[in-house]
Amino acid sequence: MAITEPDHDYVMRTVRERGVRFVRLWFVDVAGLLKSFAIPVSELEEALEEGVGIDGSSLEGGARRSERDAIAYPDPRSFQVLPWRPESLVARMFCDVRLPGGEPFPADPRYALRRALERAAELGFTFQVGPEIEFFLFAANDDGSPRPLDDGAYFDLTTLDDASDFRRRTIEHLEQMSIPVKASHHEVAASQHEIDLSHTDALSMADAITTFRLAVREVARELGIFASFMPKPLQDQAGSGMHLHLSLFRDGRNAFYDAVGDGPLAETGRHFLAGVLAHAGELTAVTNGWVNSYKRLCSGFEAPRTVSWTRAGDGALVRVPSNRPGKEAAARIELRSPDPACNSYLALTLLLEAGLRGLEQELEPPPETTNGAVDGLPQLPRDLREATDLLASSELARDAFGAELRDLYVRSRRAEWEAHQAQVTEFERERLLRAL
Amino acid sequence: MSDVWLYAADEESGSEMGRELARLGYKPYRAPDPSAGDEPGRRPGLAVLVGAAGEAAPLDVWQRACRRHDLTDVPVIFTVDAGGLRASQPLFEAHELLVRPFSPAELEVRVARARRGANGIEFAEVVSAGSLELNLATYQASIDGQPLDFTYMEYELLKFLMTNPNRVFPRESLLNAVWGYDYYGGARTVDVHVRRVRAKLGEKHAARLVTIRSVGYRFER
Repeated sequence: MAITEPDHDYVMRTVRERGVRFVRLWFVDVAGLLKSFAIPVSELEEALEEGVGIDGSSLEGGARRSERDAIAYPDPRSFQVLPWRPESLVARMFCDVRLPGGEPFPADPRYALRRALERAAELGFTFQVGPEIEFFLFAANDDGSPRPLDDGAYFDLTTLDDASDFRRRTIEHLEQMSIPVKASHHEVAASQHEIDLSHTDALSMADAITTFRLAVREVARELGIFASFMPKPLQDQAGSGMHLHLSLFRDGRNAFYDAVGDGPLAETGRHFLAGVLAHAGELTAVTNGWVNSYKRLCSGFEAPRTVSWTRAGDGALVRVPSNRPGKEAAARIELRSPDPACNSYLALTLLLEAGLRGLEQELEPPPETTNGAVDGLPQLPRDLREATDLLASSELARDAFGAELRDLYVRSRRAEWEAHQAQVTEFERERLLRAL
Repeated sequence: MSDVWLYAADEESGSEMGRELARLGYKPYRAPDPSAGDEPGRRPGLAVLVGAAGEAAPLDVWQRACRRHDLTDVPVIFTVDAGGLRASQPLFEAHELLVRPFSPAELEVRVARARRGANGIEFAEVVSAGSLELNLATYQASIDGQPLDFTYMEYELLKFLMTNPNRVFPRESLLNAVWGYDYYGGARTVDVHVRRVRAKLGEKHAARLVTIRSVGYRFER
């Protein structure tokens, strides 16, 4: 009998004891979309030992060209029985994707993040992330068009509304999937919700965000509605963001916490903040990866437009919470631009690298923006094309992702932009058809 | 404690055995019959075959289920009265024999012996704290017989704490003892996993995993 690793043994034994029928193997493409394929339990042992062959071009998003052999290796430590559909037990495992020769597959976003975290670890840092994820719930009208579920206001909780029922069920599922929820509430827009997750290391969090999007959709489906993480689904309502709370820890201590000074951040935190702000333009194509992302960034509702930071005001790119004496773990920066449709693996990779550059070069942040004064501040890219062009020439992205992954991502975003440009929209027809 | 599949030739002797098993903390169910097209639910931790008065236990139904669902390592107890014993094949295939009438203490001993005989589970391999049980041989955790779905590292952390109860462990010691290598998350990983384990344990048992402020964690048994 082969000598198996204890974590392999755990998976094999649990599958058997619990009567799991299928195991879903998960990976994400460059756009951050979850790819999943199921294997029967009879194939599991071999999959754990030798991996499963896949067409690697399926990771290339819109940039997909020709087929490319790759091997997906399930990570036994991510094995988890899915809490939905208990009538036929299904489990999932995240995969690391490799080339047939064993080297990492360059288009695997999980690998890019893993590598960035290893570089941070060499400097003694772990990267901690806590997201606030916003999304919408819709019912489908008879003609298939989406209908917002309610007109409930902020923090409006009644015992019998669909929305709170939905949140309770979602949180139960998330907790069963090892995703600790910190808080949840109704957002400002009709039918919009926010769920905040407790901070953890960046790789676990990127996996958690991927799982989160699926779990929320599943719960909505069970209730006969649907959930959307589209950044700006409704014209006159606030869009959905995914604010990211970021910090570095060293030797179990928060390296952003200023124990002696009176500033909101220690030196490490200031340099990190400065690094993120210095590279804010290049980052945007990754934190905001869709044409629609820019409809959110350009339309107010407190979404950031300028490269700025503040302790109090609204609308800045980064908010730095005030120092809370005795609350060391709370020191962090909050990046307000990302949306929940981004590839969180790539976004966290690039953010970490930008922050570490700030540390290496001992950059200092620009002065704080107060009272929302935005005149003269650098602007974030206005649309996906502008953002993608900045990324295409980004040295930071090349170093963080490797040239191949950067170019793949750029190509997939350009394909997205071109597809958008090829559309003649209702807006154009309404405005121009009779006027011209 | 785990599910028990009951194979009873008649309702009366079956429900009597069911009550005794429930008293010991097991979850007895009427076993699915493959020839009647029943689908098995989750895998049982034990099977008990109950013969009617003066008759042998229904071994054939069990054997059909075994062949159909690969249950060969499930511990089996064969129970009959004195008349049933005479009616049985002398070398029946079961791990333990229980002749009625029996005392609850005897049932408990027979179950433990059957479990050891079937899959080598010694008493010490099941760690419990109230209705929370961890089976170290099968990696399964349960509360009142309901399975809990932990990830491997959550299971390992809980196992370490439950097998070393009532002692305080600093985060770093837990990281070394349970993870054993440098992990991206550092000591914060321990906090995150404790939080996850508590959420899955639910209110009643979460309180056993105590945070000792600015030191670490302790499992209270």
